[in-house]
Amino acid sequence: MSKIIEVKNLSFSYDSGAKDSKYAVQDVSFSVGYGEIIGVIGHTGSGKSTLIQHLNGLLKPTAGEVLLEGKNIWDEPKKIKDVRFKVGLVFQYPEYQLFEETVFADIAFGPKNMGLSGDELKSRVENICEVVGIRKEYFEKSPFDLSGGEKRRVAIAGVMAMQPKVLILDEPIAGLDPKGRRDIVSMIKNYREKFGAAVIIVSHNMEDMAVLADKLLVMNGGRLEIFDKVYNVFSQGARLNEIGLSVPTVTKILYLLNEKDRNIRTDIFTLDEAVKYLCGYGAGDAHA
Amino acid sequence: MDNHIELKNVTFSYSDGEEKRDIIKNISLGIERGSFTVILGHNGSGKSTLAKLMNGLYKPTNADGCVLVDGIDTRDEKTEIEIRRKVGMVFQNPDNQLIASVVEEDVAFGPENLGLPSEKTRERVDEALKSVGMYEYRKSTPHHLSGGQKQRVAIAGIIAMRPECLILDEPTAMLDPKGRAEVMDIITRFNREEKMTVVLITHFMEEAELADRVLLLSDGEIIRDGTPGGIFSDIKTLKETGLDVPQSTELLYELKKSGIDVDTDAISVEETAARITAAFHLEDK
Amino acid sequence: MTRMLKDITFGQYYGSGSFIHRLDARTKILLLIFNIVFLFLAKNYYSLALCTVYVAFVLLLSKVPARMFLKNIKTILPIIVFTALLNLFYGGGGTVLFTLFWNLTVTTGGIYRAVFIAGRIVLLILISSLLTYTTTPNDITDAIESLLSFLRIFGLRGAVHVLAMMMTIALRFIPTLVEETEKIMNAQKARGADLENGKLFDKIKALIPILIPLLISSVRRAYELAEAMECRCYNGGVGRVRMKRLRFSSLDLAAALFNLLFCGGIIILNILL
Repeated sequence: MSKIIEVKNLSFSYDSGAKDSKYAVQDVSFSVGYGEIIGVIGHTGSGKSTLIQHLNGLLKPTAGEVLLEGKNIWDEPKKIKDVRFKVGLVFQYPEYQLFEETVFADIAFGPKNMGLSGDELKSRVENICEVVGIRKEYFEKSPFDLSGGEKRRVAIAGVMAMQPKVLILDEPIAGLDPKGRRDIVSMIKNYREKFGAAVIIVSHNMEDMAVLADKLLVMNGGRLEIFDKVYNVFSQGARLNEIGLSVPTVTKILYLLNEKDRNIRTDIFTLDEAVKYLCGYGAGDAHA
Repeated sequence: MDNHIELKNVTFSYSDGEEKRDIIKNISLGIERGSFTVILGHNGSGKSTLAKLMNGLYKPTNADGCVLVDGIDTRDEKTEIEIRRKVGMVFQNPDNQLIASVVEEDVAFGPENLGLPSEKTRERVDEALKSVGMYEYRKSTPHHLSGGQKQRVAIAGIIAMRPECLILDEPTAMLDPKGRAEVMDIITRFNREEKMTVVLITHFMEEAELADRVLLLSDGEIIRDGTPGGIFSDIKTLKETGLDVPQSTELLYELKKSGIDVDTDAISVEETAARITAAFHLEDK
Repeated sequence: MTRMLKDITFGQYYGSGSFIHRLDARTKILLLIFNIVFLFLAKNYYSLALCTVYVAFVLLLSKVPARMFLKNIKTILPIIVFTALLNLFYGGGGTVLFTLFWNLTVTTGGIYRAVFIAGRIVLLILISSLLTYTTTPNDITDAIESLLSFLRIFGLRGAVHVLAMMMTIALRFIPTLVEETEKIMNAQKARGADLENGKLFDKIKALIPILIPLLISSVRRAYELAEAMECRCYNGGVGRVRMKRLRFSSLDLAAALFNLLFCGGIIILNILL
């Protein structure tokens, strides 16, 4: 059993029952393996947010099913809370959900709901803070006194503290400055390494996706347009353009250079690789 | 030089209990009439405060500092309303600046406050909504609009007061790429076609590309002041101040660091490609 | 819970562009008050029958589907039944039909009263819901501001303006806050918060993770909104001139005359029969 989450023919309509109900998500199937990082892209209203809320049982499919470790999450509706501990969902701007008096208490909210208490709870929170780099001096501070980037880290740590096997993040780096973004990205990477969890990230930022993700899931008009390795998705530039998405900036530049010299490769999607390639090209071994 | 807005030795400090913090540190600055100025700065650099000083929402906290709009001191309470009308201000979160639950009634809010006769207000509302391409939504409720559309309505609400200067405080920060493009398009058009003075505050470097002048703000001080090309070629400083450098510019910077002789003053994909084309003499091939 | 909140606030207006929709909102509010008064003046079945004819006619005129009105009756049905029962037993008068336990007697007079009262409440609800179905919340707000403007002669102009401004902002922000509440609830549910189960005390405690973020964000919104209003030259409504002026038209005159006719009918029926 290598798949942690499997989505089969999932459809969802916000007003099921109405005759001509419009589907927010229609007939979507895909699966995610342990330790994989999946990027979800698609423009506003493509069904991304609706889709991810099905994975932890916040929404119930109108048709189709979601399997977590081979088991339909809605088999026992009463135990849906347990699914939410296994599939952690971080919403957009998660800093707005902070409410406790101290950073420690806020991070402990999730684990406490799982029934942890005392030393177990304490070590759980300390453990996650160590993994994601929240120092002990912060524990007794009020989360509302932190900077925007720090608040976001605390909020994400609050979900990670439940040690979910699948971690889903909706636009986790939106609105942050470069340092804030780097912090969040390394936090996510550390978490995956330490717990072998699968990570699903929704983002508008193709450049970050190219660096972070193993596979991309492209949503368009409620349907799954493409689900494939990053390389195979970004190689289909024309198709992405058609549905209002784009390839990373460096790739766009390479396309323009390719018009001047047909030998220039256009299948490079990250900055580092582009720099390496262009330096090599400049040195004259482009045809090699 | 005809300065529309002028800041003279402006300091703004904020006391947080026992601690007094200078958010703006002795800035002197003139914004030329009809120009398009972009103020770049990272989170917490004081850029929102600077914007609010320009329309008198905040006043300098030092005695010898002053802000002049068309030569009028913003500290004069009698002219407060007049300055607000002249210097229109658009904020980051479109949701928190719309007042009415019908688009056209929201746009009418400013002119109504100015006491214009209702026919005049109606005229201006229609005109403002058309200028941002939201006329067909005039009867809609803001709640049903996208972020970009809401921000356009917010801009129309300011335009309806016929300001001479438009200050926008991170107007695109909460929008998706499509909404960002729509809003940027409107802003540049008001500057080019209506000759409106525009001050855009942002942390997206890409948005500074079309500006006449770029100011780099860091920790309450203006550390760079120049043309977009001049500022962008100094990527090292931009990165040090914690700014978002577009991948295109970063590519040029990295190439240069690797010893390739390339100009690094580009932002757009096209210009970047052109710089690399020139560096590699691809045109000759 | 939140879905319900949405229904209450926004499921109301039903735009069908009928004659009644085109009436000035002030006319509709005044006529509603007038109608309520006359529903209470109707003393006998004959005048109540006339009221029924009137209400039926006006409802038909509004082109709002009957099921929308029935929905409102259904929600309030328990209250109608309760009131009718009270009148049935405490009504008294007429011949005693039968006696239940505890000397509770059902008389012809009681039945008469119970049916009469129930009929009157149903008519009241129907005619009141007509206002909200045919008038947007904004128009109602504007109409109330305009109708209350006579208070300015008592020096209460500021108060009327503040009230109207508050209603406008509330209308604008209710959907935003409902959506925000939903978001926060989902976010806390994703952290395992249990909002449905447990005893009352647990439920109240479970609201804290929702109310605190909601409160913080509302304060932030209020602060930002205040600044945005200031930037749009708002200074407490002094010298403000509204764009939209409510205007009475010949339609309003026709509606008023029709109502006078109906009220005359009731008085005649009350006296004659």
